[in-house]
Amino acid sequence: MSATGLLVFFKRSFLRLESRILQAIGFNNRAVPALAVQGPGIFPQPHRNEETEEHSFLDNVFWMAAPKKRRTIEINRCRRRNPQKLIETKTNIEPCSECGNLKQKHVLCGFCYEKVRRETAIIRGQIQAQEGKPLNNPAVETVVLYEGEKPADTDAGKRIVERKRQRPSWFTQY
Amino acid sequence: MRLTLPVLIAHGRYGRRMGLGPESRINMLRNILTGLVRHERIETTWARADEVRIYAEKLIDYAKKGDTDEKAMKMASFWLTEKDLVHKLFKVLVPRLGSEQRGYTRLFQIPNRDSLDRAKMAVLELRGNPFPPLVTRQPASDGSLLNQLLRGYREEATRSRAAGGD
Repeated sequence: MSATGLLVFFKRSFLRLESRILQAIGFNNRAVPALAVQGPGIFPQPHRNEETEEHSFLDNVFWMAAPKKRRTIEINRCRRRNPQKLIETKTNIEPCSECGNLKQKHVLCGFCYEKVRRETAIIRGQIQAQEGKPLNNPAVETVVLYEGEKPADTDAGKRIVERKRQRPSWFTQY
Repeated sequence: MRLTLPVLIAHGRYGRRMGLGPESRINMLRNILTGLVRHERIETTWARADEVRIYAEKLIDYAKKGDTDEKAMKMASFWLTEKDLVHKLFKVLVPRLGSEQRGYTRLFQIPNRDSLDRAKMAVLELRGNPFPPLVTRQPASDGSLLNQLLRGYREEATRSRAAGGD
């Protein structure tokens, strides 16, 4: 055997080994398609109909907050009963000194005010009847007189409104 | 005046917002003020009564200048939509309230309105009106529980002092 022939043999076998390794890895430039067919440039993607596919809530459930442990009744009680959540007790309720109904300290008694309101409404009705037509307010003072009362000296030029009843105790004459 | 938190936050502003805008607010208050001058005692929401109070007192201050003053007459004719009340203001209210410096009106809170809104209501009245008074100050009678207890305590104290002295 000649030296050159041996060298050629080694070179060829080395190249063959290299190409086999490259084939194994995948760098294969010798692969030639067995069959060539004319077709579209891109492969058609499978058409996913967005409407028909259900976006179920459970797809995203892995990223939502959830309680880890059951809240015990002791902890629940602490939360439910702390003073911030309870209804505040009112300390400004007291009985009215006149009628005894309950009232708030800064508010007029409802019962007593209702009495006064009704009487005022009746007096105003009488005033309206006296005036006759609207926008007929005379530029004089008004005084209310009950049964059996006479106009005093100070009520000289005033308009008198008569009420056919006894003077109520809470309508004091100053 | 107390420097409460709402007062400090307001930075000197004292007028409330009402109605559909400033013009609407003035119109509303003008109507309420006319009602007050006519009827001398009216019932409205507390906020409106509080606002009207300011304007009522200012109107009476203007009216005190007299019938002949042009500014006073302009104010009265603007604020009182019913013209027979202008005469009432100058001839009745000013002589009645003229002696006081301020405080021509009284504002009381009454129980909340009966309708669904349960609004905070108030009754606003002019001083010296002919109607029955809203608050009567009853002098403490001797028969009340507190007075009876105090009387008993006083008698016991005198008795023990007399016994101790003897």
